Amino acid sequence: MKKYLIKRVLLAIGIIFALSCVTFVILNVIPGDPVALMLGDNADAATVKAVRANLGMDKPLPQQYLSWVLNLLTGDLGISFFQKKPVLTLLTTAFQYTVRLATISYLVAVVLGIGIGIFAAVNRGKIADHALMALAITGISAPSFWVAILLQIYVGLQFKVFPVSGLAGPISYILPCIALGTRYAAGIARITRTSMLEILNQDFIRTAEAKGLSPLRTVFIHALRNAMLPILTVIGTNIGELLTGSMLTETVFNIPGIGKLLIDSITKRDLPIVQGCVIYIAVVCVTIYLVVDILYAVIDPHIRLEGN
Amino acid sequence: MKKVLHHGLLRVCGFTLAVLTLLSGCSTGHAAVSSKAGSAIASQAASAAPKVLRFGQANSGEPLDMQVSTGSLSASIADEVTESLLRFDDKNKEQPVLLEEFPTVSADGTVYSFTLKKGIHFTDGSELHSSDVKFTFERMFTPATGAKSYAYFNMIVGAKAMLKGTASELSGFQTVDDYHFKITLEYPYAPFVENLGTSYADIFPKNACKTAGSNWGVNVLVGTGPYILKSNDQNTQAVLVKNKNYHGGKVNLDEIDIIFYSDSKTKLLAYENGDIDLCDLPADLLSQYSGSYAKQITTYHPLGTSFLSINLKNEYLKNEKVREAISLAINRADLVKYVLNGAGIPATSYLNNSIPGHDSSLGIYEYNPAKAKTLLSEAGYAGGVTIDGGEVRQSEKALVEAIQSYLAEVGIKLKFKVVDASTWSADRVGGKLPFTAITWNALYPDADFQAYNYFYSTNSVSKSVNYSNSKFDGLLDQARKESVADKRAALYRQADYILSRQDYACIPLYYPQSQFIAKPYVKKMAVGNLIYHFWNVDIDPVDKASEKP
Repeated sequence: MKKYLIKRVLLAIGIIFALSCVTFVILNVIPGDPVALMLGDNADAATVKAVRANLGMDKPLPQQYLSWVLNLLTGDLGISFFQKKPVLTLLTTAFQYTVRLATISYLVAVVLGIGIGIFAAVNRGKIADHALMALAITGISAPSFWVAILLQIYVGLQFKVFPVSGLAGPISYILPCIALGTRYAAGIARITRTSMLEILNQDFIRTAEAKGLSPLRTVFIHALRNAMLPILTVIGTNIGELLTGSMLTETVFNIPGIGKLLIDSITKRDLPIVQGCVIYIAVVCVTIYLVVDILYAVIDPHIRLEGN
Repeated sequence: MKKVLHHGLLRVCGFTLAVLTLLSGCSTGHAAVSSKAGSAIASQAASAAPKVLRFGQANSGEPLDMQVSTGSLSASIADEVTESLLRFDDKNKEQPVLLEEFPTVSADGTVYSFTLKKGIHFTDGSELHSSDVKFTFERMFTPATGAKSYAYFNMIVGAKAMLKGTASELSGFQTVDDYHFKITLEYPYAPFVENLGTSYADIFPKNACKTAGSNWGVNVLVGTGPYILKSNDQNTQAVLVKNKNYHGGKVNLDEIDIIFYSDSKTKLLAYENGDIDLCDLPADLLSQYSGSYAKQITTYHPLGTSFLSINLKNEYLKNEKVREAISLAINRADLVKYVLNGAGIPATSYLNNSIPGHDSSLGIYEYNPAKAKTLLSEAGYAGGVTIDGGEVRQSEKALVEAIQSYLAEVGIKLKFKVVDASTWSADRVGGKLPFTAITWNALYPDADFQAYNYFYSTNSVSKSVNYSNSKFDGLLDQARKESVADKRAALYRQADYILSRQDYACIPLYYPQSQFIAKPYVKKMAVGNLIYHFWNVDIDPVDKASEKP
């Protein structure tokens, strides 16, 4: 286990640096110049040159990258070209919004998704099963930004109870969380149903029923625990997605999370923020996948990490 | 038995109904009395409530230090907190703010004398003195500041030496005493006083600004303005509160919350939902809101011109006849009517119709596709031409697509791609864009900004225009030095004609119209040009209370 962990952590660090290197090169070769945008139309050549030097953009690319990596090792992600604030501060602020939104959305999604999945599996072939699965397919197919717009218009404006944008108070989380959570709930419901059906047909479930265990105990203690592996994989992947920010939902609801920060920075070519966001996303994804792998072993003792 | 029960039930129902009716009668009377009293109480309560204006706008993502930021979004916040010596009101008339009167100028037009009003205090408690003005301008020319708009003031003697780093003091600024100072220019420059009325010349308190260091404009901003910056997270909102000691008189609002929206549609939904009281209304959403919200929409005309900006070094566009043919092929009246939903005035020349120098005797540009074809033929392109490589931003896409179809009818094929603002800026500054569409706005009603900054030979390169006409340049040079308003206007009139009617160095399309939407309880809101100012805005608390469901 220890050996496996060290191997995975080293691999994760390698992935993060490879990603940062690729991003750095791409950002510096794609068209667009942050200095031109920053200075506007009236800038003379001397000003452009001075600002470039001020931002360290006049140095050769490898030198710029090396300097960025060395700063990164000390926890310094640089200063935003436009906002003039440390990137780490901006990321931390945006993270707070994203994590709040992600946590509530996902709690709703998991409870709803697993509940619906179990109910559908237990009632396999019945009308409720077909209806719930049809709903789940609709949920998966509907893009969250579209759901967001519908919620704004038909719930927000109609009842004038929920703010249609921003995160001003607890009530303002409701619409974005529904918009974001619906899609994930639908996905979890489908995978829970499939996984549960597989387990419910196995001999040990029949044995449990024959021994007189209550249906609730059979389903929740015996079947669900064994059906959890694929569900956990989906949940892990989803958490990774959610924590890296939902660009469209955040934009539609005007939530200043990681996704919106990244989109805004790409548009302006605020390179330090984009680099910072990429590193953040890489770290979150790699960590989540590592945690999911470890949880596999915890949930299913048949899996031995060393063996893999 | 059944009958008895039925009878009894009827009696009980009748009695209940009678009691309810009686009670309802009493309560109605009571409600009528209490309604009047309640309404008076509600009205009093509404009047006592703090007046908070919630304004929605896009986030500039830049500091509020107007020496390092250039955008109107930053200025709409900064201008409430910091003030320049003079400023333009909502009718675009310049007024002294920190000065006793307009500065006087020497006979040769190079020395300006200023008198500051006495007793004006910054919100940190320090009094405004000449030393603060000197500090502000010296900060602007210090390279480490990274000021971006110094070009509007670098004709002050000693500015260039400071910008080069060879001087640490502005030799052209002479402090007479705490309230009097003089500024000497290298050469007579007529729009100097107008430039002093822009946000770029906001006056900062020396000590507070020095103490704040790199936080100036980010977390700290102190000025003499009607509002104090309470917070600005540069992310969700900026909050301004009333400056109770404002030198300019009573400040109407207790608080202004400037809430940032990156998406216009979300912003307008927030307006509909009552989350904000006021915001701009983009032209593409005008038709959607002009029905049910017509009474809440106010239109105004910024001092700009929208035009097809063309590169005179392009193989085809360097030919004057091709340029004129482009102009003749476009139906500007229909363009405004159908593409802009009427939000504009068809252009008659380059200079905006509210800027002195605009020739109001000129009619709308002729729309004559047949003549355009003839001109194209005379230019040697009877078979048509393909002008490739143009770039436009998303905001101008629909407009250029319409132009593309007009030009296709006369045999001119325009090919362009839609790019983001960053790519567009970089490619344009490089001087190689064959064509693009742009709205060029003046900061104040003076032709120097619109004409000189875009089309003067040395400035037109970075705009991907590459226009060079010595007569045009000469007229602009002359106008910059001319202090008599009528003579200046006449010079610009000539220059404008050469540019847009003789050389067709650009293809003016329309003078834009902008609009904002405000709740009925928002009073005295007006926008003169580009920047939203809330100096006079008020909120009627009673109207506001009655707005709520």
